[in-house]
Amino acid sequence: MYATYVIWAKHMHKFSRSTEEAMGLALQSVMWVVLFGVGMRGLVGDVGGNDYMSYMLPGIIALSALGGAVGGGLILLDERLRGITKEYLVAPIPRLSILLGNAASTATKALFQALLMLLVGLLMGARLAGNPAGWLAALVLVALFALGFSGLALAIAAQSRSIMGYHGMIFLFNLPILFASNALYPLDVLPSWMQVVVLFNPTTYLIDATRALAFGTPATLPLLLSAVVVLSLAIGGVGLAYGSFQSALKRNM
Amino acid sequence: MTTLAIEAHNLGKHYKETTALSDLSLQVEPQQIYALLGPNGAGKTTTLSILTTLLPPSSGTARVAGFDVVQQAHEVRRRIGVTFQEIVLDRDLTGRQVLDIHGQLYRLGKAERTRRISELVTLVQLEDAIDRDIKTYSGGMKRRLELARGLMTNPEILFLDEPTQGLDPQNRVGIWDYIRTLNREHNLTVLLTTHYMEEAEALAHRVGIIDHGTMVAEGTPAGLVASLGTELIRVQGSGDTAHFIKTITTMPFVLRVDQDQQQGAIQIYVDNSTRRLLDVVQMAGSNGMRVDDISIARPTLGDAFLHYTGRGLRDA
Repeated sequence: MYATYVIWAKHMHKFSRSTEEAMGLALQSVMWVVLFGVGMRGLVGDVGGNDYMSYMLPGIIALSALGGAVGGGLILLDERLRGITKEYLVAPIPRLSILLGNAASTATKALFQALLMLLVGLLMGARLAGNPAGWLAALVLVALFALGFSGLALAIAAQSRSIMGYHGMIFLFNLPILFASNALYPLDVLPSWMQVVVLFNPTTYLIDATRALAFGTPATLPLLLSAVVVLSLAIGGVGLAYGSFQSALKRNM
Repeated sequence: MTTLAIEAHNLGKHYKETTALSDLSLQVEPQQIYALLGPNGAGKTTTLSILTTLLPPSSGTARVAGFDVVQQAHEVRRRIGVTFQEIVLDRDLTGRQVLDIHGQLYRLGKAERTRRISELVTLVQLEDAIDRDIKTYSGGMKRRLELARGLMTNPEILFLDEPTQGLDPQNRVGIWDYIRTLNREHNLTVLLTTHYMEEAEALAHRVGIIDHGTMVAEGTPAGLVASLGTELIRVQGSGDTAHFIKTITTMPFVLRVDQDQQQGAIQIYVDNSTRRLLDVVQMAGSNGMRVDDISIARPTLGDAFLHYTGRGLRDA
């Protein structure tokens, strides 16, 4: 898996040199927390015994991880359309490492972003739970979540014929993932049909667990179940990406 | 018996609606420079993609450096260097970073990478530019960098897909020189595709002409030219050309007759053009054809290429 590391390092190097991308990500995070968080806090007040800032931080961190996954897929698509993938494909490295390198760099960026949002959120009055082990566990979950959704994005990117087509597909699943979840509102205020939908969305589990682990909001779903769901998402996402990539290779990259 | 560097047997590649390759066979001896010639869409790139393990064949088998390209793809990949038809470089990296990352993918050690980079940068004359971002490179510099990348891992066999496409004459001749040097001094086997005749003539020990996904002629550049007949008379005229062609084809000194569909030029391959010129002119006159222009030429590889692939335009 040394090749995974080489590809990851290359993406991270390019990221660190691309001030536009880095600044864009950072500003996005800050704006979500400041604009959305502050506005909604005035409207909502407390949710589940915690202030709204602490309540919604996990949700917008998950959202930014989704955005990161879309970006990761875009990198693969761009490399594929420009033929750069071929350099990897003729090299004696496992096909999977190409995807893992990409997904790992996406997850790394998502972690940076999560940390930054956390920091801004704290400055804006969010309160963390007392236990640092919980923070760490939450970050691990965020990284796994990012890995899983990069897998889905990569699966689409491996098949798309153009950037436009890719965005169309991504948009289809991006929006419901945010709104059909517990990111912005608690489960128990939703009508029961929507609760069912929300419970099919893995984002719900990530957010619930992150709230419980990092912010001390009582969990509404069993923690272990949430961890299993997020882990399955990560494995399933990467598996799907691999299958999609392999089938694309049989035709032509 | 020495193993062949490249051997392909009855390769085919079929898609739902098209056939890219049908029944192509090919053999390349070690330390040879082999040029695949063909019109656009003839199947050159598909052949290269199969041999470089990028694409599995629909039928047939191929071995590169003694290993099967499907079953032992990993072993093949360790032994080959490849450059692609389009320029495939990360614009935001420097030349050195591209070479270094490539070396890392093949698990070359740090010292080895540094040594190879300095050797190759000298070979392809990129000393001044190697630490600049690739977006500042000209087309020729990018091609040279790609060649260096293909050579970075010291391959046994180098695959080049149209290595000098779009380059100025200086860069083209430069790249030919590098390829010849590598072949002579490092015993490198090279398989390249091109549709520049002079490139094949300048470089290749052997040439294969492919069209419609199959090999239509193969041999040394000189041998392919000789197969057309020693000399050539080109006749341009009007009138009953069909009758003229029919008659002249039956003459004992005529080896072969080709007609250009668009321009109507008739190419007559003969044993001795100066001696037969008068015969040809007389025969045109007595067969109802008026000669507008007549010339004598030695056939070139280009003539051989057109003879075997025809003159129709291809929709790639």
